Amino acid sequence: MPAPDDRPPSAGGKSADAAPAPGGVARSSSSRPTPNLLIVLAAAFLVARVATGVFEAGHPPELPDLVPWQSIAEGERRGQQERRPVLYDFTADWCAPCRQMKREVFADRHVAATIVGLYVPVRVLDRTREEGRNPPDVAALQTRFHVTAFPTLVVMPAGGAEPLVLEGYPGRAQTIQWLSRSGVRGVVNFGVRGLPSVVDSSGMRRR
Amino acid sequence: MNTTLILATLRQRLTSPIRLGLLALLFFMPIGAATLMYQNGLATLGDSYGLTLVLAAGLIGQDLSSGVLQLLFARPVRRSEYLINRWLAVSFGVTALSLVQAVVAVGLLGMRGHPTSAQEFMIFAGNSALIAFGTAAVVALFSSLLPGFGDLALLLVFQLVGGVLQMVGQFAARPLVSRIGTEMTGFITPRFDLTPFFAGVDPSWAAIAAYASTVTLSLALAIVVLNRRELSYASAG
Repeated sequence: MPAPDDRPPSAGGKSADAAPAPGGVARSSSSRPTPNLLIVLAAAFLVARVATGVFEAGHPPELPDLVPWQSIAEGERRGQQERRPVLYDFTADWCAPCRQMKREVFADRHVAATIVGLYVPVRVLDRTREEGRNPPDVAALQTRFHVTAFPTLVVMPAGGAEPLVLEGYPGRAQTIQWLSRSGVRGVVNFGVRGLPSVVDSSGMRRR
Repeated sequence: MNTTLILATLRQRLTSPIRLGLLALLFFMPIGAATLMYQNGLATLGDSYGLTLVLAAGLIGQDLSSGVLQLLFARPVRRSEYLINRWLAVSFGVTALSLVQAVVAVGLLGMRGHPTSAQEFMIFAGNSALIAFGTAAVVALFSSLLPGFGDLALLLVFQLVGGVLQMVGQFAARPLVSRIGTEMTGFITPRFDLTPFFAGVDPSWAAIAAYASTVTLSLALAIVVLNRRELSYASAG
């Protein structure tokens, strides 16, 4: 039995309840209540969204770094043992782009999983500004890979081929793309050890 | 919550062979991938976005095109009740599928000597549920606007336009244009990561507010659109 306020439309295609009510209100129907509570909630959340968005633009939240970074010694040992490429993240506490990369790349669950799948991740923390000099293993790696800026990502392929270097933070999308390509290349270089390296046409720097 | 509407929705969704085939693909393929790349844990399963799209596509529009709505609303059923329960049905359905998927994957990973922590499982399950409820709300809105599977077309348009605006904004150094693009693509993929709650760090309140805003706004607008729609037996909707 149709509800009186929601009757099937007339042959002309207009429903009976489309006509204005005597009071001049276009439509007031028990089967079509306005979702007032939902509208109020949506408006409140919209205000909160704008407010928190503006606030966090100036004070970005500290998101957890989801990559299980290894120490230099442990990472290199695992890289050799598991025959996997090593990803070095040269970073420093004072480096703002490093923090941005951590927030936008390393705090992403899927990117972290990709990194774990492709590499043995090693974090190399520069302490020059804080302590005057770096520990010997950090200094040695910086010299070896000619690191002069932060952040710098270096992929050392498993077979000992030439390292791939990404200097600076070019943005989330490009960093993820670089990580994926370098990871595949690191594995490929290992797999076809003895053959020439894959020609680099992507703008990746090789040393 | 109207159990009859929820069960009817799930029954309708799960009787389409194409939909079932796609669901099976999205259910089993990630499990296979996770088993192969077991070092990644549950992350290889991806998220529940694809499952939600498959189960939610044509959520309202299909009923609109087929004439089911005209018959249904001849009964004393509130339009808001219809919409909310269909949204709930798809969201619960996808959450349940994701949970089963995760349980199977956890078992297989365990057999490969890579046990999954309870925390990882809970984060995966929570994130899957959030994506399911969020995406289904957006699909409900788009589906109330267009008949048939027009909701998927609208999602695609949002994705393409949002992506183009982001690229243009980056190349032309126009942060506003880039931001509009980000908001457009963010709107059709509402989500926030539960990891910070488990990692003991402050979550991004902006992400939480954005998620809640997208879901409530989508549902409110969908109900308003549905309320204003004049259903006619003489047209296809």
